[in-house]
Amino acid sequence: MPFEQVNSKVVRAHVSQATPVLSRRGAMLGYDGRVVFRPVHGQGQGVGGMMGRAFAGESNPMMAAEGQGSVLYGYRGLHVVVIDLKGETLTCEADRLLAHDASLTTSVEMIAQGGIRQAVRGAVTGQGLFTTKVNGMGSVAVLAHGGAFAIPVNGQPVGVDPQAYVGHTGNLNVDLQAKVGWRDAVGRGSGEAMQLIVTGQGTVYVQASEEKF
Amino acid sequence: MMEQTYNPMTLPSNDNVNAYSFSVDLNGQWFITKGAMIAYYGNITFQAVTAFASAQAWVAAKFSSPVYIHDWVVAEGQGKLILGDRGFDINSYTLEDGNLTIKANNLLAFDSNLELKQSIVPGFVTLIGSGIFLASSNGPVIFVEPPFRADPEALLGWADVPSPSVHHDAEWMTRSIMASVQGAFGRASGEEKQYDFTGQGTILLQSSEAVRRDNALMRLVESQTDLLAPHQAGQLGQRLVARAQQANQ
Repeated sequence: MPFEQVNSKVVRAHVSQATPVLSRRGAMLGYDGRVVFRPVHGQGQGVGGMMGRAFAGESNPMMAAEGQGSVLYGYRGLHVVVIDLKGETLTCEADRLLAHDASLTTSVEMIAQGGIRQAVRGAVTGQGLFTTKVNGMGSVAVLAHGGAFAIPVNGQPVGVDPQAYVGHTGNLNVDLQAKVGWRDAVGRGSGEAMQLIVTGQGTVYVQASEEKF
Repeated sequence: MMEQTYNPMTLPSNDNVNAYSFSVDLNGQWFITKGAMIAYYGNITFQAVTAFASAQAWVAAKFSSPVYIHDWVVAEGQGKLILGDRGFDINSYTLEDGNLTIKANNLLAFDSNLELKQSIVPGFVTLIGSGIFLASSNGPVIFVEPPFRADPEALLGWADVPSPSVHHDAEWMTRSIMASVQGAFGRASGEEKQYDFTGQGTILLQSSEAVRRDNALMRLVESQTDLLAPHQAGQLGQRLVARAQQANQ
């Protein structure tokens, strides 16, 4: 059952025996029904997966909600955007995952696989060299500072501020572009010298703030 | 849409100006938290509750919470008083011979017909009587009905329900080795502690807030250490020093 948006900062997830929900630890606001919470480490990828995650800095402590009832999730007053996945893949930082259906699979990927340019992108956006991919059928709740909105990408390239980038779905190529001119060199730049250029087919999610959390 | 420009006549009377600010039609006294006043029209004076209480005995009777008294001001006079808090959503609540308990940090102002008392639950205060009060919340307030269990951080308050009891998630404690080890040291680590509500009434929730330092909370905890015997207080002091040193590392 998809997550229900209660308001801009809170989502409600219906938990049943067949559909447990994974969430960030400490993100539960309240619940009714017979729901139990259990801490989980790395989603069933064994010790190797766990170590990999810890090494990658993409290891957020998670917990599982199981049983029967409905649970409210929110985190520190950040805005929440719900993305329903129907087989496609969502790429975002592990930090930003508030909650998702346990039926979805998550994996950590090295963005440096895309070559040195991608590694530079990670360094500039503050994402580091690793990112998290979520895929399958189900709902994901993603955190954003100042509200997030979706920009469809259909062939035409879309430029995004690296700090405002939240994540993306679909078959997209995200590339860092530096437009450094002489003005930047003398400190009179627009402050927008670094941009992520998104191309392909899909949706990119952008937050209305340049603040990291 | 054009933003409206207000003058003293067109400012709302005891209503929200927008989601983040509220205009009080002041004619008499209101209690407000320090720093909540954004602007005012008219002839209004602001005086610390502590100073006011010595001059007018009724204040002490209405504000029976020595722990919080330092953070409050009495606004007195006639005019329009605009209040806000950190850009949080501001809501007004009207009580009619009722009672509502709310997180002290989120209570912004109340009219002097209401009476404030400290709740049994640390960090919360109870308003009793008939009148209006204002509270801030991070995002809109969510109203739920018992039976319900709430995360202490997300809990904003409750009305007409008995005070909550603390529910410890046994599953959490047994499954998480770290949690149970920390539990043995009396440290909370996650989601194992919840406030359990039963009975009839309404529970108020917000998206858990970016925690503001609550100075009153320290005074509150300190006042409770009176319950300890002197040697116990010494032990507690040693543990707190150890914890502070650990946090600094």
